[in-house]
Amino acid sequence: MRTTSANYLSPAVIVSLLAGLVFSYPFLWMFLSAFKTNKEIYQPLLLFPADYEWDAFAALFSGEYLDFTSFFLNSVFISCAQAFFATVVTACAGFAFAKLNFPFKGALFLLAILVILVPKQALAIPLFEWLTWLELNGSRWAVILPGIASGLGIVFFTQIFRRIPNELIDLARVEGASLPRTFLAILPLVAPALITYGLIHFILAWQEHLFPLLLLSDANQTLPLGLAKLRDSSHRIPEAVAMAAATFTLIPVVALFAFFYRKMRTALSELTLH
Amino acid sequence: MPLGLSLDLALQNPDYVPEYREDVGLGGGEGDGSVTSGTLDWLNVSWEPQDETANEPEEKYVGFGNFSYVLGDPKFHKALGNTAIYVFCTIAIALPLAFFLAHFLRQVPGRIRPVLSFLLLLPGLCLSGVLATLFQLFFHGREGALNQWLVTPMGLEPINWLLDPSFVLPALVLQAVWRWTGFIVLFFLCGMEAIPKSFYEAAKVEGAGAWRVMRSITFPAVRHVVVFAAVFLVIDGFASFSGAYNLLGGSGGILDSGLLLVTYLYQVAFPGGSGQFDFPAAAAMSLMVVPLTALVLFLVLFGRNRLSKA
Repeated sequence: MRTTSANYLSPAVIVSLLAGLVFSYPFLWMFLSAFKTNKEIYQPLLLFPADYEWDAFAALFSGEYLDFTSFFLNSVFISCAQAFFATVVTACAGFAFAKLNFPFKGALFLLAILVILVPKQALAIPLFEWLTWLELNGSRWAVILPGIASGLGIVFFTQIFRRIPNELIDLARVEGASLPRTFLAILPLVAPALITYGLIHFILAWQEHLFPLLLLSDANQTLPLGLAKLRDSSHRIPEAVAMAAATFTLIPVVALFAFFYRKMRTALSELTLH
Repeated sequence: MPLGLSLDLALQNPDYVPEYREDVGLGGGEGDGSVTSGTLDWLNVSWEPQDETANEPEEKYVGFGNFSYVLGDPKFHKALGNTAIYVFCTIAIALPLAFFLAHFLRQVPGRIRPVLSFLLLLPGLCLSGVLATLFQLFFHGREGALNQWLVTPMGLEPINWLLDPSFVLPALVLQAVWRWTGFIVLFFLCGMEAIPKSFYEAAKVEGAGAWRVMRSITFPAVRHVVVFAAVFLVIDGFASFSGAYNLLGGSGGILDSGLLLVTYLYQVAFPGGSGQFDFPAAAAMSLMVVPLTALVLFLVLFGRNRLSKA
């Protein structure tokens, strides 16, 4: 597409700009609200605070209301572990489904699709029982382990690995490479897909609310629970602190996404359900 | 196979309950329970120690009793209907909106296009707690931004979004649309970028109008995205909990007008702040959600097959 100056004022640009504004304006408001007093926050039309004081951010990190740093680190640990292990496991499974032959392959793949179709939240209660039985209740692994099994990841990686020509695998076999070795050799070819899936899984884990609420002990709580605490019904804590916390929950995901955005786009176009 | 397995669990579940209560001691309020009072403060569920013996359930096999209890509960019907409307409206609004936005974004000069599509993505990236917080302020009674900017200028009475029964569900739908449209735009954009430029040039040579190009070239190329996005929204809709929870604080909203399936599941699982799991009923409930979702998704995928044959 040619970029002439006239292009910047076409109706399409104006519509897109308006949409971008509508979708992102609340976040600007949220960030600026971290500087406001309660009274100012309760007037939603007001965008800019009267004066900029960093009190709310200071209160957040000094641990005056809750230990925000530990919430943050828990969230980072759980989301990273979940994203990493889920990517490893589903990439291996996807490779097996795409390139190997084994008994009950079709049935097992159907199972992976069924896992997509059934929302995880609907199975919260049986899962709770299993984790209690495994004596994992309260630990961070209670949230990480169930998150690793992802039907979407298996289907996604199966499609990605199907695009790798079979000749490559045959070549590796002729050269005498073992199967794990072949798999490792192919991995760089699907790097964008690995990054994309890892990112998406990171975000889903980062946003998860129900499982951490049910499963984590007091010492291991994550950001969604922390945010809920900051906004409890007693209104003891100034709203600005919650707004500052909300801003900080957004920063890591936005940074990650902005960094890998271009890589993601190439891999995302392959995301279909067949 | 997970369906069969889960069903087994459900049928055995009444037997599990007493054992579960002794082990975890959630209902009993033992100090070292995994979820302690602090965690659940905001849920308005109190975990004060209960008289264990008074609430000891009888150990007997109730067969399908829990299922029929859930099926006969008018609140379950309400939740089911609400969820169906919620899912349908979200899809009906978000998909066309995302398609047109992606179509417009394609015509935006390359340098600012990634920035704009990233701005659209922001609501999908943040925690739904954040989202609900922002939304509550925008829907805030009379002073909310939506009322001030849209409803009042149109000469209408300000809408009390979260207290008027006929507007609670639309507020939830708007929240879901606002949240997911950006992601679906991204999917659409990726699908559209795979279309060879020569298609458009050929259409131009043959004198096809903009509408015709969109219908005959762009839309068929992104049909698989439509299916994927629809499946995604259905799953998210049936499982959506956090958004509604943060917006309505765990109740179903006024007259249960915003009661969704998972919120109902929560209410059944933690009945009325008693601090006791009503485990069997909740398990029966959650297992009912599963086949329902599967059915809806089957219909969506079936529709996809019909679509691609046509």
